Amino acid sequence: MSVFDSTSRSYVPAPTGHWLVAIAGYSVLIDKRAIQRNALLSVALLAISVLSLGMGTLSLAPYDVLLALLGKGDSMTQFVINELRLNRLLAGIFTGAAFSVAGCLMQTVARNRLATPGIIGIDNAAMAFAVASVVGVGVSFAPSAMALTGAATATALAFMIGGGSGTRGYRFIVAGLAIGSVSAAVSQLLLTQVHIDVANEAYPWTVGSLSGRPEEQIPVMGLITLIGVLSGLVLCYRFQLMAFSDSVITALGHTPNRLRFAAVVIAIVLTGFAVALAGPVGLVALVGPEMARAFARHKGLPLLSSAICGAIVMVLADLAGRTLFSPIEIPVGVITAIVGGPFLLWILIRKPKRSTL
Amino acid sequence: MPFLVQFFQRAPSQRPLSVCFTLICLILLTCILLSLLIGAGSVNISQSWQALIGQGTEEATFIIRELRFPRTLVALVVGMALGIAGALMQAVARNPLAEPGLLGVSAGASFAVAIALLLGASAATLAAGVAQIGALIGCFFVMAAARLQGQFKDPVRLILAGAALSSLLTALTSILLMYDQRAADEIRFWVTGSVAGRALDHLMAVMPYFVIAALLTLYVARPLASMALGEKVALGLGHNPRTIRYLVMLSVALLAGSATAIAGPIMFVGLVVPFAARALVGPDIRRTMIMCLPIGPLMIISADILTRIIAQPTEMPLGVLTAIIGAPVLMMIVRAKRLPTLA
Amino acid sequence: MSIMRPLVLCSAILGLSANTAFADVTVDTKYGSVTVKDNVKRIVTLHEGALDVMSSIDVPVAGSVATRGSDTVSDYLADKQPGIQIVGTARETNLEAVIKERPDVILASNALSKEQYDILSKIAPTIVPEWSFSSPDAWRNEARLFGKAVGHSADVERALNAVDKRAATLKKRVEQQVPADQRQVFVTRWMPQGPMIMSKDLFTGSLLRSTGFEPQDGDLLKEGRPHSSILSLENIAVIDQDWLFMATLNQDGKKAYDAAKQSAAFSRLNVVQQDRVQTVDGQVWSSTSGPLAAQVVLDDIEQLLDSHQ
Repeated sequence: MSVFDSTSRSYVPAPTGHWLVAIAGYSVLIDKRAIQRNALLSVALLAISVLSLGMGTLSLAPYDVLLALLGKGDSMTQFVINELRLNRLLAGIFTGAAFSVAGCLMQTVARNRLATPGIIGIDNAAMAFAVASVVGVGVSFAPSAMALTGAATATALAFMIGGGSGTRGYRFIVAGLAIGSVSAAVSQLLLTQVHIDVANEAYPWTVGSLSGRPEEQIPVMGLITLIGVLSGLVLCYRFQLMAFSDSVITALGHTPNRLRFAAVVIAIVLTGFAVALAGPVGLVALVGPEMARAFARHKGLPLLSSAICGAIVMVLADLAGRTLFSPIEIPVGVITAIVGGPFLLWILIRKPKRSTL
Repeated sequence: MPFLVQFFQRAPSQRPLSVCFTLICLILLTCILLSLLIGAGSVNISQSWQALIGQGTEEATFIIRELRFPRTLVALVVGMALGIAGALMQAVARNPLAEPGLLGVSAGASFAVAIALLLGASAATLAAGVAQIGALIGCFFVMAAARLQGQFKDPVRLILAGAALSSLLTALTSILLMYDQRAADEIRFWVTGSVAGRALDHLMAVMPYFVIAALLTLYVARPLASMALGEKVALGLGHNPRTIRYLVMLSVALLAGSATAIAGPIMFVGLVVPFAARALVGPDIRRTMIMCLPIGPLMIISADILTRIIAQPTEMPLGVLTAIIGAPVLMMIVRAKRLPTLA
Repeated sequence: MSIMRPLVLCSAILGLSANTAFADVTVDTKYGSVTVKDNVKRIVTLHEGALDVMSSIDVPVAGSVATRGSDTVSDYLADKQPGIQIVGTARETNLEAVIKERPDVILASNALSKEQYDILSKIAPTIVPEWSFSSPDAWRNEARLFGKAVGHSADVERALNAVDKRAATLKKRVEQQVPADQRQVFVTRWMPQGPMIMSKDLFTGSLLRSTGFEPQDGDLLKEGRPHSSILSLENIAVIDQDWLFMATLNQDGKKAYDAAKQSAAFSRLNVVQQDRVQTVDGQVWSSTSGPLAAQVVLDDIEQLLDSHQ
C-alpha cells in the first residue's frame, strides 16, 4: 500500500481542470474547480461561525468571547459562549450538513429534485414521536430519543411496505408519503388534547429549533455526520452513476439496487440523528443541495459542497433567528422556511434552463 | 361473483366506466345512508331509521335533519371537490404525487385564519370567507411565481414554486402563532379539519365557486386529456397548453380553496382519491375524474362516520381520520400488481 | 465547559447544610430540591401563572415570556408589571435574554422539559412545580411554592386568603339566591364543531366549587386532561344543566355567543333559552391560574349572580 509507483505504468495526462492522484494502483481525478469552490464555501462557513459566536441578545466584546473560548474570563460569559453559543453552532453545523447531504443523496436516488428524506415521512414521524413524548403519551423517554425512534420506525415501515419492488423506489416514496401524513395527523391530534402550556413545550419539535439542545448529544451528532459524509464521499463516484439507466450501471459492473440502498441508508441515518437533535428542519435538505449546485458548479454529485452549504444555511438561519427580533427568538426551522422558500425560487429564476435530475 | 373476478382481471383502462361508476356509486349511497343512521349520540340506528321514514321521535328527527344531513351533504361536496382538484393537479403537474396542497391552498388558508385570529376573531366566529380568500391568495402567489420563472412551461417548476411558497406561508403562520398564544391555542382545533356543525348556509356561501370550478373543469377535461399525449398533440388539436394550465390551476384553487374554507385543511384526500380512481379505470384523465366524483365523497363520508363512532360521545377530528384511512388505501393500491402511472 | 454547574451544586449543598446561617430557602420541585438564596431581587417567569402570583403580591418581575403580541403579557396582567422585560415567547425561551436579566430565580411552568431545565438551572435556581391533575388545589400549592421560593410565603398566603374570603362571601350569596338543586354548572369552550368541556378539578373548577356551585364534566374527561375532546353536537344535551360558562379566547364573548346560537343544536338547549349563559375570558378561565386570575373568575361569577337576581 505504501508504495507510490506511478512511474511503473504509462503516464496518462489528467484532463484539463483536474489533478490526477495515483496511489498504489488506485487513481482519482480531482476537480480543481471543486476544490476551489469548496475552499471558498469553507471560508464562508468559518466567517459565519465566528459571527455566530460573537453575536446574540447579550452583546459581548470580541476580546471577551476569545477569552471565554480559551476558558478564561468571568463564568457567565464562559457559560454563554461555551455552553450556549458554541453548542448551538456545533449543533447547527452538524445537523445542517447532515440534512443537506441526506437531501442530495435522496434526490439522486429518486432522480427528483423535490425528493428529500422528509418525503418518506422521517421528519413527520420523528415529530409525532417527540410530540407524544412531550405531551406524555406512552413511554417517558426523552423527546430526542423518541424522535430517533420515530425516524427509525418510519424507515422500517417504509421499507417493509414499499421496499423490494417498483421502479426507482416509487413505492417506497409513496409508502413514506403515507407514513408522513399519518404522523402529521397524529401530532396534530395529540396537540389538541393537552393544555396550551404543554402544547407550547412541544412546539420546538414541530418546527425545529437549536435552542438549548442537550449537550451530550452534540458529539454523537458530529460523529454520525462525519461518518455519513465520509462514506458518501467514498461512494460518491458510484452514486453519480445513478443518473444513468439501470442497464448502464450494470454494464459498468455495479448493482443498481445495492447502490440505491446504500445511498438511502446513509441519507436516513443522517436525517434520523439530525431530526433527533434539531427537530424537523426539512427545508435544509432541499435548499442545501440546490445552493451547492448553484455555487459549486462542478460536474458530478456535489456532496461535499452540499454538506458545507447545509451547514451555512443552518448556522446563518439560527443566527438570524436569534438576533433579528431579539429578545424574541425565532426557531431555526421557521427561518429556513421563510428564507429557503424564496431562495429556491430565486435559483429557479436565475437559471432559466436547468437540466432536471 | 365470476363476473366480478373477470371484471377485475381486466386491465384498468379496459374496464367499462359505467360499471365501475355504478358500483362505486352504490357503495357511496350505502355510506350516505349509514352516515344518516349512525351518530355519536343516544339516537341509535333503528330510531334514526324511524325518523328517516317519518315516524321518529322529535329528538331523532331533529338530529337527522339539523345535524347529520348537513354534515353529510357538506362531506359529499367537499369530497367531490377535493377528489377532482387532486386529479386535475396530478394531471397538470404530470406527477402522481402532486396534491392540491402544493398550490399553496392549505398554507394560504391557514395563514389567513391565523391573521384573522390575531386580529381578534375567535374560532367560533370565524367566517368561511377568510379561509377562502387565504386559499386563493396562496394559490395566486404560487401561480405568479411559477409564471415569473418559466412562462409556465415546466410543471416541475410549478411544484417547486408551490412547495417553496407553501413552506414560506407555513413559516409565517408559525411566527404569527408564536407571537400570540391565544391564536395558537385556537388554531390547533381548526387545522385538524371537520365537517361537524357545518350548516347549509356555509355550503351555500361557497357554492358559486364550486359551480364556476365545475364549469371550468368540464371545459378543460378534453384539452387536458390531449395534453397527456404531449404538448404538440394538444397544440395540433387547437388547444393552447398555457391557457389550459391557467384554467386548471384556477379550477383547483377554487375547488380546494372552497373545500378548505368549509371543512378546514383536510389532508391526503386530494392525493389518494385520484390514485384509487386510476387503479380502477386507468390513467385517462376524463375517466379518472368521473371516478373521483363518487370516490372522494366515499372517503370523506366514511371517515366522518368513523369520527363519530371511535371516540363516543366526543368526536375525533376528521383530518386525522382521512389520513388514517387514506394511508392503508394508498398502500394497498401501491402494493397491487398493476399500477397505472401518469403518461 | 461548565463551570456553572459545580457552582450551583456547591451553593445547593451549602444551603442544605447550613440553612439558617445563610437564610437560604430550599423548596421541593418537580426536578428535586432547589435552593434559592435569601433576598431574591431579580425574578424571571417563564409561565403566566407564575407572573400572576408575583403580580398578586406586588413583587416586581424583571423578565417574562410574552404571551400576547410581541411585547406584552396577558391583558389582565399587563398593567401590573410596568417595565417588565420580554425574554422570549411561551413557545421558545431566549436563553441569552434570560441571562441578561441576571435572575436570582427562574419560575417556570410544570410542563418545562428536563432538557430545558438542565440548561436553565445553570443560569439560576429554576422552580418547576409538581402538578397533579387529581388535586383541585394544585394551583394554590403552585402559588405557595413560588411564594416560598422568592421569600414571600406570608404574602402569597394573604393573597390566597383574600380569594377564599371573597369566595366565601359569594357562597353565601349563592346559597340565598340559587336553590340547592340548581347549582350544576358546566365550563366549556365553543368550537364550530361542538363544545369542549373544561375539567372540573382544575383551577376554575375548584373556585366554582368554593362559591357553592357544582361544576360538572359529564364524566367525559380522561385522567389528567385539562379539557375533553370536542363533544359531538348530538350529545350536546350533556352540558344542558343549570348554568353554563362559555369561555372565549377573544375579547368579544358576546359575538361568540351569538355565533354559537346560530347552531340549532346549541340554541335549543334549556340553559340557552333561559339565558343562563355567561361568557367569560378564556385566557383566564382555561389558560392560566393564580390569585389575580382567581379574582377575575370570581368577578365573572359575581356578574352572573348580579344579572340573575
